[in-house]
Amino acid sequence: MKVTNKGKFAALAAISVSALVLTGCGGGSTPAANDSPDSGEVNLIAYSGVWQDQYTAAVIEPFKAKYPNIKINFSSKRSSAEMLSALQGQKNSPATDVAIMDNSVSTTGNKQGLFEKVDAAGVPNLANVPDDFKNKDGFGPVVMLDAVGLLYDTAAFPKAPDSWDVLWDPAYAGKINVNAPPSLLGLSLTAITSKMEGEDYTQGIDKAVARLKELAPAVQTFAPNPDEYQNVITGQTVLGLGQNARGQFYSDQSNKKMGVTFPKEGTVYQINTVNLVKDAPHAAAAKTFIDYSLSAEAQTAFAKALFYAPSVNNADLPADVKDRVVPTDGSLNIIPLDVDFLSSARDKWTDTWKREIITK
Amino acid sequence: MTLLKTRGRSPLQAAGSGELEKATEKRNRRTYLALLIPGLLGLLVSFVFPLAYMVRMSFNKGAPDGVIEETFTFDTYLQPLTDPYYWKVTLDTFQMGVTVGLLCVLVSYPVALFLARSQSKYRGLLLAIAIAPLLTSAVVRTYGWMVILGTNGLINSSLTGMGLIDTPLKLTNNITGVTIGLVEIFMPYAILAMISGFGRLSPQLEEAAGSLGASKAKIFARVTLPLSLPGILTAFLLVFVLSISTFITPRLLGGGSVQVLATEIYDQTTGLLNWPFAAALSVILLVLFGLIIAVYQRLTRKIGG
Repeated sequence: MKVTNKGKFAALAAISVSALVLTGCGGGSTPAANDSPDSGEVNLIAYSGVWQDQYTAAVIEPFKAKYPNIKINFSSKRSSAEMLSALQGQKNSPATDVAIMDNSVSTTGNKQGLFEKVDAAGVPNLANVPDDFKNKDGFGPVVMLDAVGLLYDTAAFPKAPDSWDVLWDPAYAGKINVNAPPSLLGLSLTAITSKMEGEDYTQGIDKAVARLKELAPAVQTFAPNPDEYQNVITGQTVLGLGQNARGQFYSDQSNKKMGVTFPKEGTVYQINTVNLVKDAPHAAAAKTFIDYSLSAEAQTAFAKALFYAPSVNNADLPADVKDRVVPTDGSLNIIPLDVDFLSSARDKWTDTWKREIITK
Repeated sequence: MTLLKTRGRSPLQAAGSGELEKATEKRNRRTYLALLIPGLLGLLVSFVFPLAYMVRMSFNKGAPDGVIEETFTFDTYLQPLTDPYYWKVTLDTFQMGVTVGLLCVLVSYPVALFLARSQSKYRGLLLAIAIAPLLTSAVVRTYGWMVILGTNGLINSSLTGMGLIDTPLKLTNNITGVTIGLVEIFMPYAILAMISGFGRLSPQLEEAAGSLGASKAKIFARVTLPLSLPGILTAFLLVFVLSISTFITPRLLGGGSVQVLATEIYDQTTGLLNWPFAAALSVILLVLFGLIIAVYQRLTRKIGG
């Protein structure tokens, strides 16, 4: 009797343990046996929302048509920081092959050994990327460029505002949305304000903070929802901070209810790089995808779809698209935001905003 | 216990059946234990291990951009404990919890009392309606409140339309909006907690008080309210705990101006990638939870007699 009971106990325990193991306590990445330059799969991590929709339609679908034996698995994240966080979690057994993320964050990934170098042997289209857009250490190159723009309600502003100073205009108090840091938009506004105040932001941002404190009571939200664009389109606010690319896209979507402009004081680039994950399980197919993402075909298609400026010199954009993507020929006043500096300042600036600028 | 069971039997019979009972009990205990193992293992993997990992993480050192230095330091705890800013965030979190808890109890109490005492054949349906909001995600309901409370929302456009106000009221992107949203979102929990805590409430006692000449107000103050106090306290605690740990509503309706522990943990985790610091804040929140629940249970036991 006793033996039977013990046996039952052991059997039940064994079933429990094996069930638990089978239901996902295993983990770890599986080596990809079928990986080759024209077959297998690519696990891509990149932005969510409209970016994902447009990138899928303009780049991934044509890629799949060209390489029918390569499957793309898209894992979307709301921000580059979230992507970095996911990649850090996978460091010992990478499950991702390619990451498209903000330059400031991918630089950190490069330093942390999360990414592999790429060269023209594996990625021939790298030859079309100007040196300025290549990583000096050979890591993932720039794949698209954008810049921070001023969003405005076209009903309130029949003519686009030409200065960031409009944010401080009392006439629009309570009708402004600003994304606070750690959002790149908030960090960019800090750098822009610093420049407007004649300050070198790498030395200190006291004057910018004083000016932003004046702005804070006029800000309706520091975390616009559903996002900065819809806030302006739905009339919740009349001014806001946003990316030019999405701004242009939503401007069309809203039948020009919202406009986006680059004020004269200058703006900050938002640059995305395409990165090969170190020890990627499908490195060969991943390089094929990276190469395609740098092709004139893919770059032109995505510029038409979401107004990101191409990073290759052989992409030929139609005039109406060229006018709406951020200029990369030096014609726009760009405030350089040093990525190395930013990685150390992000914490401090976020803290300063929370403690000194954002008011209740 | 044994005495009770053996009553009416001879001592010999009692001894024999006692052993048999013990053996059966032992066997049953083993079966229970074996059946518990999947649940316990699940709990171990999904709760105990992550919690232990989080506690360990809180003693690591976080550097900019998510680099985590494996070490053993108390700096992550010292920083929030010595920084007035984090004390303020903690205080604000608790203030929000208390306000939402009180308001939620206040608006849910009449509903719960009505449902608990109702003799209507529609009682089940009414109860289902009261807790029906739980069928919709808190995110959706929060977005609903954004539509209602926004600058061009239902309330502001109605008031402006009626000519009662010139400039829209600031009902969202601040603590007011968060409080309104949370009170509505947690109402079903409060109603359920109260109904289950109204066990000792009996119409006979109220009738007895009435027959002895007590006025309705007196009956409520001396009979109904004291007897429903355990339910009220349970509901308050539940709503308080849910409020101080909630993230979605303060994030969405707070507009970045409402800084509570949960939003701070989120920023540190996903925005600044400082996991050790976020883990330390989470442990602090957990310890505060534990302390409050312990104090509260004592209090409830005292009140409950």
